[in-house]
Amino acid sequence: MNDTPQPAELHTTPAPPPIWSRVSVIWLVPLIALAVTLGVAWKSYSDRGVLIEIDFADATGIRPGETALKFREVEIGTVEAVSFSPDLTSVRVGVRVDKTIAPFIDDEAKFWLVRPEVSAQGISRLDTVLSGTFIEGFWDAAPTEQTYQFTGLDRAPVSPDPTKGTWVELRAEDAGGLAEGAPVIFRGITVGRLQNLRLSPAGGVLVDAFIDAPHDKRLSSQTRFWDTSGFSVSLGAGGVSLDVRSLASLVQGGVEFETFSTGGSTVQNGRPFRLFASVEAARNSIFGNDLVDPVRFTLLFDDAIEGIARGTKVHFRGVEAGEVTDISVRMQADSVGNQFARQQVVIALAPARLGLDESTEAEVVTEFLSGEVENGLRARIAGIGLLGTTRIIDLTDVPDQPEARVNPDLEPFPSIPTAPPAANELAASAEDVFERVQALPIEELMASAIRAMDSISVVAEDEKTRAVPGELAGLLEELRTLVDGLNAEGAAQKTISALDRVTSAADSVLTEIEGLGEMLASTDQAAQTFAELPMGEIGEKIDGILGDLRSMLGSEDAERLPRALSDTLEESAALLAELRAGGAAEKLNGTLDATQDAARAVGDATERLPELSRKLETLVSRAEGLVAAYGDRSAFNNEILTTIRELRRATSSFGSLARMIERNPRAFILGR
Amino acid sequence: MNVLTARAAGLIGCTRCGRVWPGEASHCGRCGAPLAPVTTISLQRVWAWWFAGLIAYVPANMLPMLRTATLGHEQANTILGGVIELVAHHNYGVAAIVFIASIMIPVAKFIAIGYLALIVAHEKFAGSHRHLHLYEVVEFIGRWSMIDVFVVAILSALVQLGFVASIHPGPAAASFALSVAFTMLSAQNFDPRLIWLPPLGTDKA
Repeated sequence: MNDTPQPAELHTTPAPPPIWSRVSVIWLVPLIALAVTLGVAWKSYSDRGVLIEIDFADATGIRPGETALKFREVEIGTVEAVSFSPDLTSVRVGVRVDKTIAPFIDDEAKFWLVRPEVSAQGISRLDTVLSGTFIEGFWDAAPTEQTYQFTGLDRAPVSPDPTKGTWVELRAEDAGGLAEGAPVIFRGITVGRLQNLRLSPAGGVLVDAFIDAPHDKRLSSQTRFWDTSGFSVSLGAGGVSLDVRSLASLVQGGVEFETFSTGGSTVQNGRPFRLFASVEAARNSIFGNDLVDPVRFTLLFDDAIEGIARGTKVHFRGVEAGEVTDISVRMQADSVGNQFARQQVVIALAPARLGLDESTEAEVVTEFLSGEVENGLRARIAGIGLLGTTRIIDLTDVPDQPEARVNPDLEPFPSIPTAPPAANELAASAEDVFERVQALPIEELMASAIRAMDSISVVAEDEKTRAVPGELAGLLEELRTLVDGLNAEGAAQKTISALDRVTSAADSVLTEIEGLGEMLASTDQAAQTFAELPMGEIGEKIDGILGDLRSMLGSEDAERLPRALSDTLEESAALLAELRAGGAAEKLNGTLDATQDAARAVGDATERLPELSRKLETLVSRAEGLVAAYGDRSAFNNEILTTIRELRRATSSFGSLARMIERNPRAFILGR
Repeated sequence: MNVLTARAAGLIGCTRCGRVWPGEASHCGRCGAPLAPVTTISLQRVWAWWFAGLIAYVPANMLPMLRTATLGHEQANTILGGVIELVAHHNYGVAAIVFIASIMIPVAKFIAIGYLALIVAHEKFAGSHRHLHLYEVVEFIGRWSMIDVFVVAILSALVQLGFVASIHPGPAAASFALSVAFTMLSAQNFDPRLIWLPPLGTDKA
């Protein structure tokens, strides 16, 4: 067997086709699709912006995926999510911001919501009615450290770009007619806007005013702002003038400013200014901006605070130091629990006016005033001005006050203890007195007084009274003629002639010695003649003169003097009776005080009585002077003196009447 | 089930007109369509298109389908978001249509095609009439998935009223259209003759 061995049957399996031929090229399709999808996904992921979170108080109008974030009105992002802050007090809005702009959003960035607004100046952001609220942001071009967490502003800032102007804070007692967006006017040109009108925690109202560049250069620390809201009507010599600054300011108010004095320093952002109520107030205020940050105190008065109003001045030891900012009533309970009301007056004080530094803290001022109060300082209402009708609050030392101290914990402001009003009652109630005086029959009183004076004048001017000195002169003249008579035809001449006769007799004796006996007889005769001279007649004549004088003084004319005076008194009495009858008594009877006031008025009226007395005195003294010429203690003189004394008595009784009236008018008026 | 298949009888059927030809024929003598033997290669194409469709379906659902701008207020909605919004506005009918056409049908198609492609590999299920019905349903209903794309296209064309209202197709519209097209191609590439074949491996042995 030479069998060639048969090769074993070759078992072959065909090689499997290569994997690439078995796999269809169609697989490229899903691969490409996958690649494209992944590519798109990656691109959109890498292109998506930076997520920042902004906290807002509420999310009015914010819708995730729709609400835009805009920078200079260009959309740069979209709200992605709205959630809450961990404490649920605010809404956290997640915003996806464009990658290119995100680096500029640093911690100085501001965000606020833009909504449509309707104001007197028009409707703004009407576009947001349709497009919806959006978030506006502002930041500068200098990227610093990037932040991702922000707090949104409650409202749009006065100006988004703070470098384009200056903003100042205005402080007013009340908002008056001011509204958001009201214009800030400088010489009639709107140079800025008001914004963020809000209540101040310290009382009053705060509003931000933004003054656009370049007008903000007009500001200085001396600048004064005032409210031009509404319109003013003034009536003057030129007629009625109506002043409306602008329609906008009529509707939403406005603020105007002006720098009245020089020397101010430049104004930094946020500087507080006082907002005056009117241009006059701004111009006239002595405080300027001193009161911009006043320290406030509460005064509690038990008495009525009539005449005190907002703006009433507050004096500190006589120097104007502040003003009243608020008046209200405060209910308090006493120890038993009874409620009673006290008048609460809030005053604002400028620390600079108290001698302290302008920017002194309120606590320091309170401390300072506490010390003053311990030394006797009290607040009280006082009247100044001619009649004391202008009321002020006076912070001054009031002696003999019960001990009190400043209560620094009183709400809303520390209290300064008060004292009763200044005791200048007459001045304080001048008006009251005037009214009462007016009610008195003062005219009649005066008429009576004038009548009384007239009567006295009549007496004084009566010809017969005047004739008294004349008669006296006549008497004197008579005396003189008598003496002259004596001189002329009297003893001397007769004696001389007798002597002459004696001489002639002697001569005749010398010549005729022989007729001596006859001569002696003639001498006897001559002596007898001399003895027969009318000496007794002369004495009788003098007696007669004195009798004449006496009768003259006893005459009615002389008697009329005191009678006239007593008439006057009677008239006064009648006047008083009139007063009593005239219903005054009933009125005055009611209140003693009123009567006293009346009496005082009467007293004033009777001040003229002393003058009357003086006149009488003068009259008397004149008469006295006249009488003095007659020497001492003659009967004549005595008579005169008696008369004068009577006159004096009359005068003094008149005076005492006046005094009596003054002292006890009640008795005078009531006759008791 | 013991069914005599064309392949077992050495014949090849035209997939277009249904005429049966001897196994060697390369072209259909009646309609001229190429005659391809039944191979599992076609399954690869099914799977490939299936995956492409699935991939395109992901952004189609994640990106906005329609951007509606009404009076300056723009709104973009994904397919599912639109359905939810319609339900919220109580348009249940429209919501149902959109949901069925845009979500249910594509998903059902993916599941159906995938199921068929998997099932033909197992002898156990070979020759099932139910599978043929399923395939026919998938083929028939596939085009209706385009209803959403049509809506977007028509709305975009009609509603262009400027500021008052305007509608633009979103990026999802394109990917959804692609997804539908891919799944249709996937279904197209599925050779229904595979339903009747036993698994090819066992057949050969």
